[in-house]
This record gives sequence, C-alpha cells and structure tokens, in this order.
Amino acid sequence: MSLSVIIAHQLVNGLVLGSFYALVALGYTMIFGVIKLLNFAHGDLYMVGGFVGFLALSAISGVVGSGWGGIFLAMLLSMIGVGCLGVLIERIAYHPMLHAPRLSILITALAVSLVLQNAVLALTGGQYTAFHTDLGFGGIHLGPIFISYNQMVLVATAAGLMVALEFFVTHTQYGRAMRAVAIDHDMCRLMGIDVSAIIGVTFFVGTALAAAAGTMAGAYYGSLWYFMGFLIGLKAFTAAVIGGIGSIPGAMLGGLILGLLESFGTQIPGIGSAWKDVFAFAVLILVLVLKPTGLLGKSEQERM
Amino acid sequence: MKHFTRVLAAGALLAMAGGASAQAQGTLKVGVEVPTTGSEATYGQDMYNAAAIARDEINAHGGVLGKKIQLIVGDDACDPQQAVNAASKLVSQKVVAVVGGYCSGATVPVLKIYGDAHIPFVITAANSTALIPANPGNAFLINSTGDQQAITAVKFFQHKKIKTLAIVNEGDAYSQNLADLMRTAWQKAGGKVVDFETVNKGEQDYSSVVTAIDAKHPDAVFWTAYYADGGLLIRQLRQSGYQGMIAVGDGSNSVKLFDIAGKAAEGVYAFSNPIAQFLPAAKSFIATYKKEYKAEPGPYAPLTYDGMQLLVWAMKKAGTTNAAAVEKALASANGVHWLTGPIAFTKKNTLARSNFVVLEGKNGAWIAAK
Amino acid sequence: MAGRNIQAARLLGPLAAVAENPRLRGPALGILLAVLLIAPPALGSYATVILTNAFLYVVLALGLNIVVGYAGLLDLGYAAFFAVGAYTVGILTERFGVNFWVTLPIALAVAGLAGVIIGGPTLRLRSDYLAIVTLGFGEIVRISARNMKITGSASGLTGIEQPWLFGWHIATPRDFYYVFLLLAVLAVFISVRLAGSRLGRAWLYVRYDEDAAEAMGIDRVRVKLAAYIIGAMFGATAGAFFAVNLGAISPESFSFNQSVLILMAVVLGGMGKIPGVILGAFVVIIGPELLRAAGDLRLLIFAIFLLLIMLFRPSGIWPGRRAGR
Repeated sequence: MSLSVIIAHQLVNGLVLGSFYALVALGYTMIFGVIKLLNFAHGDLYMVGGFVGFLALSAISGVVGSGWGGIFLAMLLSMIGVGCLGVLIERIAYHPMLHAPRLSILITALAVSLVLQNAVLALTGGQYTAFHTDLGFGGIHLGPIFISYNQMVLVATAAGLMVALEFFVTHTQYGRAMRAVAIDHDMCRLMGIDVSAIIGVTFFVGTALAAAAGTMAGAYYGSLWYFMGFLIGLKAFTAAVIGGIGSIPGAMLGGLILGLLESFGTQIPGIGSAWKDVFAFAVLILVLVLKPTGLLGKSEQERM
Repeated sequence: MKHFTRVLAAGALLAMAGGASAQAQGTLKVGVEVPTTGSEATYGQDMYNAAAIARDEINAHGGVLGKKIQLIVGDDACDPQQAVNAASKLVSQKVVAVVGGYCSGATVPVLKIYGDAHIPFVITAANSTALIPANPGNAFLINSTGDQQAITAVKFFQHKKIKTLAIVNEGDAYSQNLADLMRTAWQKAGGKVVDFETVNKGEQDYSSVVTAIDAKHPDAVFWTAYYADGGLLIRQLRQSGYQGMIAVGDGSNSVKLFDIAGKAAEGVYAFSNPIAQFLPAAKSFIATYKKEYKAEPGPYAPLTYDGMQLLVWAMKKAGTTNAAAVEKALASANGVHWLTGPIAFTKKNTLARSNFVVLEGKNGAWIAAK
Repeated sequence: MAGRNIQAARLLGPLAAVAENPRLRGPALGILLAVLLIAPPALGSYATVILTNAFLYVVLALGLNIVVGYAGLLDLGYAAFFAVGAYTVGILTERFGVNFWVTLPIALAVAGLAGVIIGGPTLRLRSDYLAIVTLGFGEIVRISARNMKITGSASGLTGIEQPWLFGWHIATPRDFYYVFLLLAVLAVFISVRLAGSRLGRAWLYVRYDEDAAEAMGIDRVRVKLAAYIIGAMFGATAGAFFAVNLGAISPESFSFNQSVLILMAVVLGGMGKIPGVILGAFVVIIGPELLRAAGDLRLLIFAIFLLLIMLFRPSGIWPGRRAGR
C-alpha cells in the first residue's frame, strides 16, 4: 500500500469518525450556548439513542426491513423519543438549577450521566446488544481506495442533519430565538421571548442529534453497550471546545478535526494508536494556548 | 424479564440492609469479588451468574458439610480502591472463601487482605503475571497465565506457516500483558511482529487501526482482548478487505463474538481453555445459563463455575471450612475437573498445565481447529 | 444568602449550629478528633478501611477546593496530581530502592512542577476552556502511565514497600487509618490558614472580580498559579501515601472518573467551605459503601441520591457564607 493510498484511507476513516463526533458535539455546543452548561450526560443520551433506535428497528423491521430505509425510520423515532427525554431531563434536573452556582449544575449533569448509565446497565444486565441489520459490505473502488456505501450514507446523513440544523438556526423563528437566548436571557424576556420554551427546544434538537448519531453508530458498527456514550461524550466535548464552544460551525469543524487527528495520529510513526489520544489532546491544548476561545469561538466577557 | 425481578430483589435487599443481615442458620457465606458496576460490569455480572448457577446446583445436592452456600457479591468496580473496600467488607461479613477476581489491577491489592484474614481465594479470571509474586499463598489461579497462551499461539502460527504478525490489545492489564508476552515469544521463535497496536475500550471505530494494519500486510492479526470490541475489530478488518488470518485470545472465546461480528467471524481462530460447548458435562450448564439469563455465557463463566465447584470440593475433602485445611486441599487438587479441564496447581498456586486448545469459528460456533 | 445559611443550620440541626458558633467550635472539634483517635479498636477492619479512604478523600477534596473553591478555577483533571504523587513514590521506592521519606519531598516537587506546566500556559483561559485543558492533561497523564515501561504500563507497579517511621512499620489498616487521619487534620489546618492569609484574600478577590483585583495590584496569574501548585501538592501527598497503603498502583485509579469523584466531593458538600468539603468527601465515599447491599444497582441509587441533594441544596449540603453565586 503506497503512502498516498494510506493517507486517503485515513482521510475517509477520519471523516466518518469525525461525523459522529460532530453530531454529538453539536448538541454539546447548543446546550452550552443557551444555558452555559457542560452537559456531561450528553454522551449517555447518545447511548440511550442507540438503544431506542435498536428497539424501534426491532419493532418495525418486520414491515420496513432493516436496510438503510428501516434504520432511517428507527433513527427518526429515536430522535423524537430521546429528544423528549432530553427535554424531560432539562425540566427535572437542570431547570431548577439555572440560578444555582455553575459548578452545581455541572455536578447535576454528572449525576444524570451516572443515572442513565446505571439504569441501562441494570436493564441490560451489562450485556452487549448486537445490532443486526441488513447492511452489506459493498462499496466503490476509486482506484486503490475503497469506500463502502455505508460510509457514504453515514457521512451524507450527518452532513444532511447539519445542513438542516444550520437552516433551523439561521432561518426559523425558533433558531433566531435560540441564538438570542444564548446571548442574554433577561433581554430576551424583555423582548417577549419565552426563554424557558426556547431552552426546551434547544435540548430537544441537541439531544435528537445525539440520538441520531447513536442509532447510526449502533447500526453501522453493530453493537450497543451501556457504557458506549462515555468515551464519545469526552471526545465530543473536546471537539466542541476545539471549534469554540457555543459555536455551531465550530462544533462541526472541531468534530472533523478531532476525527482526522485521531486517524492520522494512529498512522504517524512514533505516535500510533497507543498515543493518538495524547496527540489529540496535545493539539487541543496548543490550539487553546494560541487561540484561547477555540477556532471559531467568539471572545466574550466571562460572566459567572 | 430476569433483570426486572433482579431489580426488585435488589430493592428488597436494600430495604433489609438497615437491619442486621438476616443470617439463616446453617449457611456458608462465600464471597464473589467481581465488578458489577462500571465499564467492566459486563464480565463481572457474567461471572457472578455462573457462580450462582454453581451455588444452586451445589445446594440442590445437599450443600457442603451439611450447610447451604450463600453468595455475597463484592463489587470491586475494577478499581483498586473499591476492590480493597469490597474485600474488607467481605472479610467483615465472615465469608469462608472468595471466588472471582477479574481485573488484575484490582485483584493485586486485595491479595494481602484475604491473606491477612486467612481466607482462601480462588481467582477465576485475572491472570496477569503480576499476581504471582503478590500472592501470600492463599490464592489459587485457575485461569492459565498469558505465557502459556503465547506458547500455544506460537506453535499454532508456525504450524499455519505464518511469518508476520500484527498484535492488537486494549490497553488493560490483561490484554497488554498477553500482547507483550506474545510479542516476545514470537520474536524469540524467529517471527516478525510488523504492527503492535493499543486501542481504547469501547471506542467502536477501529478503522484507523485497521488501515494501519492493512498497510503492513501481516499474515495474521492477533487480538488479545475481549470479545465485545474484538467482534467489532474483526468486522472492520474484513470489511476493509483484509484477507489474512485473524486469531483471538481467551478473552474473546465467548460465542457472543459471533453475535457481534456476524459472518466476519467465520474462520477466526481462538486460543482458549476448553470451553463449555465441547463437554457433555457443560451442556446442562449452557442450557441453564441461557434459561436463567437469556444470554450465552461469557468468557469467564465456565471458569467461575469451576472455581465454585473446586472450592466446595476442597471443603469436602478437608472436612472443614478451616482456611489452612481448605488451602491444603486446594493445593492437593490433582486433576479434578468440571467444565474447563483438569485442575492442578504448581508450587506458586498457578494452574499446573497449559489447558489451551485452538478453536475455529464455523457457522456461528466454535469447533476444534485442525 | 443569610437565609440560606439559616436554612442549612436548621437542616443539619445542632451540628451546624455548633460549627457556626466560634465558642463551641473548638471543643466540638476536639471531641470529634478524640473520638476518631480512640475509635479504631471498636470499628473493625472494614469500617477502618472505609474511614481511611474517606480521610484520603478529605485531603484530595481540600486540595481541589483550593483550586476550585478558593481560586475559582474549574479543574477536571485533578487525578493527574494524585497520579504524579503515587507514581513518583512508586517508581522511586520500587525501582530504585529509595527510602519513602526521601521520595515524599521529591513527589511534592514533581507535582508542583506539574502544576506550573499545566497552569503556566493555560491560566489565562476562560473557565470552560480551562476545564477541557485540565481534562486533557489528566488523560495525558493516565495514558502515559498506561503506555510507559517505567510506570509498569497497564499492570501498574506492585510490591511497593510500606514505610518505617522511627521503628514503627506502617503496615496494618489501623496504622494507615492514623496516618490518613493525621494527613486530613493537616490538610484542614493548612486550608484554614490559607483561607485567612494574604494569598487567601487575593484568591477571593480574583474569584469575584478579576479585573478589579488586577487594578488593585494583584498579579492574577501568579495568584492562580499558586493555587494550582498548592492544590497539586495536596494531591501528590495523598497519592504518595495511597501508593504505600495499597502497595500496588495502576492507571485505573487515575481515570477521569476519579477526578469527577473528587470534584463531586468538593461541590456536593459546599464549595469553598472546609466543613462542607469534608462532609462531601465522606458522602462520596461512604454513600456507595452503605449501598453495597443493592448490588449492581448501588451506583444508580447513589446517583439518584446525588441528584436529589443537588436539586434540594443547589449550593451544597453545607454551603459557604458567600456560596450563592
């Protein structure tokens, strides 16, 4: 395998991985935007999204099959169901805490994360769940480079969701309200915006994106596990910060960059898979030292 | 719905926890130290399930020394500190013996605690070589250590005319230890290790590692960690078009590997203790496990079942639960066997013989490899 | 905020009332200490081990409290300093045969240096960015320990000798109970002295209004760095004794979850206030232990319990006077 082929392959790998990171990072960044909370339960909602998608697919696969069509339908159901769960969590656990010290709400998020993980652990008995689908191994060969259809569908879906989100945020009333809420709650209230409802909408959309990623990851990789949200949660947090937390294009960019850093880190001699995370974190720290608000983040006055 | 009943049962247990533990007369308490929470709970709960099946069978046959066995779980969460807490709690609950031990890192610090308390400890999964010097003498390892597995693997690879090897581990004590031992053994035998990778547990996406492996064209890939991520790696290797041999260590010998990897696991080789499927005695174990827990037994379930049986055998032989006598009986074990082959110990209390066989994946199950 | 304080006093009853009363505080602490000193023979080994663990977390949580509670810097990778202390002692004693008491100051120096390395370039960052940078450093330390030969890679170090002190071999759980009790008392003493010191007032100022503090002539980077270094030394001390207590250390002890648990102890009890932080450390250690009978549900129940604490007492169980921000 020549070097250029390896590079091309790692590019594809990084894009696929980065798409997942970006989808999860988007929710992180949106939720941070409106209530300045690092929602550590977000990765676990990705996990729950995977399980709900799996259950939905099991229920409907008799009718629609379990190819991409069925998976999309299951993904949609999971997005709606888990999106509602996200809103519910916000109402129960975060809403009463909005005026508490910021660290308290962070600890609340960590507690929610523990609750979700351990509830699924108890329900599944800790077992891995195989996510069976009818997805094939097929793909196209671009010269020596092989790209599977699944990878293409995955990246296209992620891109589609991000375009839809961008449209939602910039072109709809809710989206505009969301951006306004991110800037100043009190001012929004004075302008007649129902801040609490907008926070709810943000949680729904952000969580639904994580659920979409969870369902797709379950179907694409083929298994589900109660702890699968932990690592991707950390990675998505990292991605969101690289891009500039609170910035939606930043989360997309950060996700892709992190995915590429990891896939190329694995390939670079002297780094390899054992040190790839150290490499990624080192780059992150370097980025923040040089540009303290992340790549696309706006500098703003800190208000605590 | 087994889990829901367990949830209810645990709730009831908790309600009772306030009062003194209701100790039925004529029971022997045996501790099961495994992780039942945290990222390793998958394996710990599987081991506990197997111990519970052994307990039920033993109690149905009249128990041991006229008493019924009661299991007490000590959750070590695969964390050294929590392991110490769990072990101290088991000691304070006056268990007569302990089985289990999954994470080597969490098992090393508890050896001293059981040693000081004079409690026999049958270790049924953890097998890092770091356990051997730390053993005060009361612990017995019934899982073969990694060096024996490496010997079996080297022989098999040579037999299959493998020249170049890629080794992949998961960065935990067990799989990293096995990977290091394998690398040394393979290089000593004149083979070449062209790629050595460490992935993260639960990462799901191993595509970049797969590309790195593909670039080196190894004759065989050896995965030294567990079935869950192993299944995903195998799938991704085959999806990328890798045609060479894939072999896995004993942490991946569960048939659950086929559930996760699907067709990609056909033709995969595993180095394993003789697992339950081949033994007539084990047919009923598998059937019971499936019936009780709606799942296939995991990699260390048969060993943990054997650990319980071995302990009871030793107590019967000693005619007492006195620690010194039970330890003496354990040390004298000479080929007693249940599901995983005959058990006997070296002077260092490790399994005397290598019990590794080579398995091959065929039609979603393991068969003996040729 | 006074209202909240009164509420706290009511909830915790006479306990808080005593602690809030300067005239009763001294004798009350003396009695508590005396009880803890004579308790071990009555406790049994399990309770001794758990309390030892709780004292360890008091040291860790008070150390993190200096960074988070006093200086207001969010640190999600505090376990890194814990690891630096444990591994420095583990490597030097086990691999090079250095006496434990010699390695202790070395561990403190290494941790202080680590504090400078982490803090130096990053302290100008906003707190959310600081959080990820510290998380990153925590992971870098853990992964390095996992990958390197000298740290024993994933298996970690075993056979770390337990130390002698003037002919006393610190070896049994009860010995370590007293050692960690002493460390916890020292940590409390230092925390109290720091809070009232010039540096403590500078932290307070920086935490409330960085710009005003700067205008008053406080070098905020230096002040923050001091918090980092002192916090790091607390963590390293805990790590050093942790290593000799267990006799074996491995990367699992220094994961992100460890950092989270210590942070929980700080925030749960009441950030910035010493009794609150001590209480938090006891809750995070003893809570899951009390729930052992619940089997694999114990963490679920504990997490729900945590959630309820935060919902009903958003500023912690025992909040500081100025906690309501």
